[in-house]
Amino acid sequence: MTRTAGDTGTTAGPRRNMRRGPARVRGTGHPFARYVLRRVVTSLLLLVGVTLVTFVLTNLVPGDPVAASLGQRAAEDPAIVAQFRAEYGLDKPLVVQYVTYLGNLLHGNLGTSTTTHNAVSSDLAAAVPATLEIALGAIVLSVLIGVLFGTLAAYRRGKTTDHVLRVVSLAGLSVPTFWLALVLYYAFYFQLHIAPGSGRLSSDFNVPPTITGLYTVDALLAGQLDTFLDALSHLFLPVLVLTLYTVGLLTRFVRTAVLEILDQDYVRAARAKGLPTRTVVRAYVLRGASVPILTVVGLAFGSLLSGTVLVESVFSWPGIGSYAYQSASHLDLPGVMGVGLVIGATYLLVNLVVDILYGVIDPRVRLA
Amino acid sequence: MVHSRRKRPLAVGVAAIALSMLAAGCSSGKSDSGAGAAPKTLVIDKAFDLKTADPARMFEPTGELVDKALYETLLTFKGGDVSKVVPGVATLDESSDAKTFTLTLTGTHTFSDGTKMTADDVVFSLQRVIGVKGNPSFLLDGVTVTKKDDKTVVLTTATPTPALPSILANPALGILNSKVLKANGGSTDAKDGAEKYLNTHSAGSGPYVLESLNLASQVVLTKNAKYDGAATPTYTRVVIRNVEGATQKINVQGGDAQIALDLSGDQVNGLGSGVKVTSDPSANVIFLMLNQSPAVSRITSNPDFVKAVKASIDYQDLVSMAGAGTSQAAGVVPSMFLGALDKSDALRTDPAAAKAALAKSGYAGEKVTLSFPSDVTLNGIQFPTIAQRLQAQLKKTGINVDLAPAPVATELDAYRGGKETMGLWYWGPDYPDPSDYLVFTPGNVLGLRAGWPKGADTTVSALATAAAAGGSDEERTSQFQDLQRALNNSGPFVPLLQPGNNIAAKSSVTGVVYNAVWTLDIAALGGK
Repeated sequence: MTRTAGDTGTTAGPRRNMRRGPARVRGTGHPFARYVLRRVVTSLLLLVGVTLVTFVLTNLVPGDPVAASLGQRAAEDPAIVAQFRAEYGLDKPLVVQYVTYLGNLLHGNLGTSTTTHNAVSSDLAAAVPATLEIALGAIVLSVLIGVLFGTLAAYRRGKTTDHVLRVVSLAGLSVPTFWLALVLYYAFYFQLHIAPGSGRLSSDFNVPPTITGLYTVDALLAGQLDTFLDALSHLFLPVLVLTLYTVGLLTRFVRTAVLEILDQDYVRAARAKGLPTRTVVRAYVLRGASVPILTVVGLAFGSLLSGTVLVESVFSWPGIGSYAYQSASHLDLPGVMGVGLVIGATYLLVNLVVDILYGVIDPRVRLA
Repeated sequence: MVHSRRKRPLAVGVAAIALSMLAAGCSSGKSDSGAGAAPKTLVIDKAFDLKTADPARMFEPTGELVDKALYETLLTFKGGDVSKVVPGVATLDESSDAKTFTLTLTGTHTFSDGTKMTADDVVFSLQRVIGVKGNPSFLLDGVTVTKKDDKTVVLTTATPTPALPSILANPALGILNSKVLKANGGSTDAKDGAEKYLNTHSAGSGPYVLESLNLASQVVLTKNAKYDGAATPTYTRVVIRNVEGATQKINVQGGDAQIALDLSGDQVNGLGSGVKVTSDPSANVIFLMLNQSPAVSRITSNPDFVKAVKASIDYQDLVSMAGAGTSQAAGVVPSMFLGALDKSDALRTDPAAAKAALAKSGYAGEKVTLSFPSDVTLNGIQFPTIAQRLQAQLKKTGINVDLAPAPVATELDAYRGGKETMGLWYWGPDYPDPSDYLVFTPGNVLGLRAGWPKGADTTVSALATAAAAGGSDEERTSQFQDLQRALNNSGPFVPLLQPGNNIAAKSSVTGVVYNAVWTLDIAALGGK
């Protein structure tokens, strides 16, 4: 039996049964389940497309991975070059390479990095949680602050609060993150001694036993409270820099979305009947604005996961951005394709989740 | 009210978990927990180019730094002097024709597991470098390794190889524990599978053992309790972290790291009194190359055009642009190597001579393309900056240069294929011996990249043949100096800069000495 969002309701019993009846007859399931299934299938097809695009683009780049991976002298030795090409399958035609790549992919094998000589999957398994840890922190803070600021700016449209918040959000968007990261690092670490040094942990700490790859979570699971606190303090600055940018983006977007909703008749009606502002904002305005806000939050989270390379560079954070840069600069084709696939899959997953949440929030979407 | 009632159990639950964790007694994640005396930790920041810690596959500066601490070599260098080899785990007896090298183990060196080092370990380690065909395998091209007895190994070459002793000091030729390696997939052919093991453990006799290695973030070394070499390391734990230059500066100032290895000439200014900077010339040489193949360029293959370019460049302007520690490269061989040219032999700026040579070449203002790697920063010097400066300098003589930047990974192909009209590149030594610079002669690796085949310049070729034959240090010095003078005079290469290498260290760290092969001998560092 397919469990759907409708099953969780406690008061919708009769209606639920009414819906399920005809669906069983048609054999295609609940409309919401159909909606989810459709999105999942589309995402899988898009994922295959992503593999093709990354493969073609990566192989179209001028330059030879042999030249980029082997040393000056090793690249002059035909025997070494031949061994390298054979080892990484570069001696086969492109079509064969792609088919082999797809075949390996089905077995969870993303190939071997020509730079690190490790399985790309294990490299990514180490890099993705590092980025995820700062991206998750940044998105949670950004949503909280961005929604608050955006709503406040909309309610105080044209007043001082609105102008101040506009300046704040524009500053967050327009200050280069690389510069901001360096300045904040200099100020908070070197001058004020509030933040710790670069990296994910202080040098006198050992990496906690890997379970999730998120140091804070792994440290807690291992019962290492001091490691947890150290890892948490190292998250402070990278999360702050990413949050400042994303808050800027969300504030502007939420303001626009809320302004649109404020003009709606049902909001006017709610205000007219004397409901407290807090209730109007929570139950009417934000509920109505949640679909467009969700879209931009999804996109912001995707770009946080894939676009942190500069912040990672300043804070010596061994995440997906650093791995992407390292792979690209060494023409490490399996590495580049692995990163492309992960980022593509992340966007698809985020979009899928957002699409499903649309369905949860707005019944019109799932019935369409 | 309803809401607050629902939330309360959740808050109580979270508090209960936190309290139970505290009550259960959390363990510590610190490296010294339970180990007795606190370790003396040294943190070194380095922009990683690390690919592996396996000596047979390693040939990057970060790898040299790490492997120097983990492994010992047959011969070595003392401090920063790379012009003279000294005994390592063995002493050397070299035949007069530089074809037979007898190495006798001192017999006092043991691996980190307590096993004594024998000739079998030496033979296995060197044959493994040859057999796995990794990046450093060319170091032993044409070398046959044979065991004479338990303490003696003989290396023979078909042609005179006076550079071999210098080569043997490279950490890539570090001696590994053959028993441990064989037990972990090691072999002396391409089937070798010990790299993974060597990236998680070390199997050497060096002052440190490998605690952990993460190619993206950090390498942790701990003191080898069985080490019986010359100097006992001061620091019991060393963390080498992957950090970019700008962050390195803040880290070393703030004390998060004790040593920063990648600060540029500009960045070492204003570090404050707590940080000491050691500036030395690096062994890298940045040069300009003009293709001699008329098929590639009718203009750059004209000897008068080459002369005009050499006389147009304002070398002192380039030096001042590069910042602290950088000097003009007098020849292609770096200043600290045997056979380096004196400053007085360096190319000089001469605008009048440049204009005269340009007029003689028949150049009519055509655009000449200068290719260079746009993403290379060498000892803090960015290649695009040099290229732009060269473009402006050549313009003064009337030479129109088109800049063609490209990422190094893509541009290498054209460079190695000899397709560039003009190229801006650098040569980092494979080993600290002038014979590594014979590549700049006709028909050799760099000669061919500059469209300069065998027979293109008989004077230079004759001098190169003489220099390759070897001899006493005095003879070799004069041979290589003669060769470089001829190269400066008629070769297609323009030696430009020898960038400075800056090591910034907290004043509490002593014994900081730059070495052109392994940057820093970690075991030789002391603490106040």
